[in-house]
This record gives sequence, C-alpha cells and structure tokens, in this order.
Amino acid sequence: MGEKTIRVLIAKLGLDGHTTGATVVARALRDAGMEVIYTGIKQTPEMVVQTAIQEDVDVIGISSLSGAHMKHFPRLLDLLRESGAEDKLVIAGGVIPEEDITELNKRGVAATFTMGTDTSQIIEFINRSVHKD
Amino acid sequence: MDNLDDIRAKQTEWENGAIQEWLKQAPERESEFVTQYLQWPVRRLYTPLDLEEVGFTYSGDLGFPGDPPYARGTEPTMYRSNLWAMVQTTGFGTGEDANRRWRYMLDQGLTGFIIEYDLPTTHGLDSDHPLAAGEVSRTGVAIDTLADMERALDLPFEKIKHMTSVCNAPQPVNMAMIIAALDKKGVVPELVNLLMVNGILIEFICVGRYIFPPGPSLRIATDVFEYSVKHYPNWTPISIISAQLYAARATPVQELAFSFSIAMAYIDSLLNRGLDIDTVAPYFSFVISVDMDFFESIAKIRASRKIWAKLMRDRYGATDPRSLKIRIMGSPGTMSLTLQQPLNNIARLGTMMLACALAGDGQQMNIPLHDEAHALPSDEAVSIGSAIQHIVAYETGAADTVDPLGGSYYLEYLTKKIEDAVFEEIDKVDRIGGALKGIESGYFQKELAESAFRYQKSLELGKRKLVGVNILRRDEKETPIEIFKMDPEVEKRQIAGLQEVKRQRDNDRVREALAGVKEAAQGDANLVPPILDAVKAYATIGEICGVLREVFGEYRPGVITI
Repeated sequence: MGEKTIRVLIAKLGLDGHTTGATVVARALRDAGMEVIYTGIKQTPEMVVQTAIQEDVDVIGISSLSGAHMKHFPRLLDLLRESGAEDKLVIAGGVIPEEDITELNKRGVAATFTMGTDTSQIIEFINRSVHKD
Repeated sequence: MDNLDDIRAKQTEWENGAIQEWLKQAPERESEFVTQYLQWPVRRLYTPLDLEEVGFTYSGDLGFPGDPPYARGTEPTMYRSNLWAMVQTTGFGTGEDANRRWRYMLDQGLTGFIIEYDLPTTHGLDSDHPLAAGEVSRTGVAIDTLADMERALDLPFEKIKHMTSVCNAPQPVNMAMIIAALDKKGVVPELVNLLMVNGILIEFICVGRYIFPPGPSLRIATDVFEYSVKHYPNWTPISIISAQLYAARATPVQELAFSFSIAMAYIDSLLNRGLDIDTVAPYFSFVISVDMDFFESIAKIRASRKIWAKLMRDRYGATDPRSLKIRIMGSPGTMSLTLQQPLNNIARLGTMMLACALAGDGQQMNIPLHDEAHALPSDEAVSIGSAIQHIVAYETGAADTVDPLGGSYYLEYLTKKIEDAVFEEIDKVDRIGGALKGIESGYFQKELAESAFRYQKSLELGKRKLVGVNILRRDEKETPIEIFKMDPEVEKRQIAGLQEVKRQRDNDRVREALAGVKEAAQGDANLVPPILDAVKAYATIGEICGVLREVFGEYRPGVITI
C-alpha cells in the first residue's frame, strides 16, 4: 500500500513573465518526489482552474511579481469555489507586501512564500497540509 | 624580469613550509572556496605562475585603454575625463506621476533616467483591456496614447544627458510617440541622447514581454533600428539587457555568451537588409550588472570588452574602432539585495558600485535602490542611490586612474578564464544554429533554469552566504524604512484619461492610419512611418498592436519541461 504522490500545478497569472522563482520551486518539488505540472506564464485564473481540475492536482502554486495579486488571487479562489474545487491548496510566491499576505490568507490562500524562502519550507508545508489516502 | 622557475620553486617551498604549521592553528574556513555564480574554485594565492598558466601577456591581453584588446577600457582616460552618467530607473503611475518623480530626480543631481512601462503597455494593451486589470501602472508608467507621452516628457531637456525607454514588443509605437511628443514640445532630437531598448529576442528567454512570434518580432525590431539609424543617427535603437539573463541567474559565462549570440542575430538581420557592419555595430549597447562577488564581476566586465571586439573584427570584419568598442550601461545588480534587513542593501550597493567603477562598467551607470524588494522606490531611497554613486565617484579614488586593478594576478587569471569559457559557449550556440534556434529549441531557457536551481541550492545549503537570510537572521516585526504606497485610484484615472482622448480625437483619421499600418505589416515596408501617422492621430497602443496581432499572430510558446 503506497502513498499517492502529491500533484502540484505551478503557474504565473497575469502579464508578468519572470519565471526563475517558479521554475526553481517546480524543480525543487519534483526533486522532493512530487508530480509537477508547470504551465508557464500569462495564464488566466480560468485557465489555471481548468488545468487544475483536469490534472487533478492537490496544490496550486502561483508566482506573482507584478503587484496584481489582489486582483488575481481573489478571482482564482472564487472560480475554485464555483467549480467545487476549493479543497485544492492554494499557495502564493513572489513579491507580495505583508498586509496583502494577511488579506489573502483571510480569503483562502493557505500560505505565501516571499523572497529568501527556502524551498524546503515550501516542501514541508505542502507535505504537512496535503492529506493523501 | 622575474624568473618564473624561481617563483615556482619558492612557491613550492612556501606551500610546504611554515604554512603547514600555521594551518593547524588557523585552518581555512572552507574546504573549498568558490566564486559566486560560476562556482569555480578560488585558489589560496595567485602569482605570475597563474598568469603563465592561462597564457596571459601584457601586450596580448591588456594593452592600453582605448586601443584593442580594450581590456583596460574603451576610452584612453576613462573616468579621469568624464565620470559615468548617473542614472536611476523609475516610472510609475500616470504620465504626470512619472513626470513629477523624474523632475525630483533631476533636482537630486541625476543626469538621466530610465523609463519603464507597465505590463499592459509592454504587451501592447490599453489600460482598459481585460488583461490589464490590476496591472495598470504597477511595474512602470502607463502610456496608452501620445497624450500620456506628452505629459510624461514635459521636462527640462537641457538638464537631461541620457534617457532610456525600456520597450520591446511595441517599440515602433513607443518610438513614434517619443518622436511626436518631442516634436510637439519643440525639442531638437539631436539634443536628446535617447536609447530605445528594442530588445525583443531576450524576452523570449526571460521576462517574457513578447507579443508576436520570434520571426515577425525580429522584423519589427529591424524596422525600428533601420528607421532610427536613417532619421535619428544620434539615438541608440538597441540595447541588449544582459542584466535580464543575470536576473534569471545566468552565470557570467552564460550571460555574455547568450547576449553576444543574440546581438549577432540582430546584426545578421540588419546585414541582410544591406546595412554595413560598421554602420550597425557601433549602435549596440549592453546592460551588464555586477553582483556581490567583487572579482567574478569585475573579471566579467573586463572580459566582455575583449570578447566583443574580437567577435566584431573576426566574424564580421568590422574595422571602425566604434564597432569594436563595446558600449555598456553598468549597474549594481539586484539579485543579492534582500527583503530582510533592507538597510544592509545600502552597504551592498556601495560595494557593487565600487566594483562597477573599478571595472569600468560603462559610460552610464544605473543604481537600483535599497528598498527595491519591498515596493517601488521611495524619495529617500532615490537620494541615497544618487549619494552612493557620488561617494564612489568622488571619495574612493576608483575613478582617478584607469583600470586600477589591472595586473592583479587573481583578476587577470579570472578574466582570461571567463573569456575562454565564453568563446566556447558561443561556439556551442553556433552549433545549435544560432540564437533564434536557441530560443525556439528552449536551449537557453533550460540552461538558465539549471543555473537558477544550482544557485538556489548553494544558498539553501549555506555554501553561499547571504546576510539576513542564511546568516545573521533577525526576528523582524517592523520594516525600518519607508515604503512607497501606490495610489489605487491610478488605474481609474488612467482609464478615464484614455476614454477622454478617444472621445476628442478624429476617429476617421485613426481608422485610416490603422489601415496604413496593416498594409505595411502585410508587406515589406518599414512599419515606423505608418505607426507615426497613427500615433499622431491619437490611436492607442492597443489599437495599433491589435492590427499587428491580426497580421502576425500572437506567440504561444510550447511548454518547457523542467
């Protein structure tokens, strides 16, 4: 009886195209034994939700650097709720000010990992938070 | 002259002598010291023997500044004559907000500025486009029409030595707006040292500000270049922002090799139009940053001068010295600036600025600001940035002699090693088929992802130290610096302004002009003249790029597997 592998979608919402953080995290998660679907840049919340459901992921990791997070994340969370997919863990990374992190938390973002975060913290958080049976 | 055999014998004696006892009480801190990005081993000591190992000679590898191989500098007297132009990046909010910040900066003693645009603008989208929501004015100034550019450029041009416009995909629109705005203001174009980045190819590898596929994108960039050379010969219509590769964690070798390969793709495109290498090459400029490893950074800059000169002379037969002398805008890099304990970044910027000066990192240098990790620059950060540039220039002596570190055994060894490695990597890209193939095959992107991951690992394992992050961490509750807050009404103001312009303009004239753009795009004609007509009629950037999208299509890259 084995543990099912954790599946993670990594994407970037909006027009920002800086991929370094996202690709480093994707690679680290893969190295830690997770299955990672990296859908690249310029995704819309609609595209992300569709892929997340299609690929039956456990976690959605969004990298946000352009400052438009307060527009993108609420929309993403609303769409997940509407599609009955709100059990998927949503985590954020990038440049997000402290007060917005608190607000996003309230809205349903499970955790935000800003600059200087160790990838081991992200791996640990996901392992802790996702229950696979 | 020193006898190398003598030195060799003495060094062997030294390594086997008292140092062995010494090491017992003072063991070295690491089993291996390595450079920051290349992670090449750093030896205990460098001597003339190391120079012999790499085949270094003064005449072959250094020579004199202003003459080939240019290792010591592209000008004979460098900063003894003219200090570098001191510049800062900014640009946010509406045209008026940007204007206000630039006036403040000029008052603070800066002689130029870099205009960054917001993401909708760089993607050829109007501020009221659905994809623009939440993105307007965030990463730079929003310019929808000529009206925005006119407001932004209402400036005392007699105080401005350099102006850079960081535009890539919609560069012809941006260029047309600048031309029209300056014209309306009665500014003589020859008096403005404008640099238009026009660097679309690098966007396919990192940062991603592209609209159309690579082929049409290269055509558009070539149109801008050709038009600029013909009508505004003192403007620079290209800049290869190597610093973007650096920000994607390229090693110094990758940064230079990929940048130069990309430059050669543009050059080939221009030569295909019948332009001459000695017409084209002098316009190329590079933005090259330094990072915290003082020596790796300085070696990179010095090597870049040698490599460019050799490429232009040996591959293209360039003979004009202006083709051979690389033009660089230098910069302390942002990748080692931390979110934690941000005031420490002022110290980091100080050492990096010093490295820039000692390396001769260009005739123009841009300093990022210490609170860069938090938000857009504050007024205080702006004046500190300017002070750092002036302190290095006037207080350290770094600008008072040319290439002061030349002859350092370590530095010359590293410079030569980097040079050799860059040529090897350029050959590798050649074998793939050149830069366009490198982009389409995902080669560059994979190499960068690899370097980024390797660097991250070195930070996480504590091999690479970063104060405040993996050493000297502090529990931080309060940010001890002021953070600039963006006005949330900015997007609304911008959209309102856009709608007003569309109401007031002659829409028939706009329609006609857009048809002219479409026709040119479908054929071979240079796109800048019809775009200039459209811009003067107050067509929007979204409308003009919309027409180009119809003709060229929108680029959707394949998924790159990690």
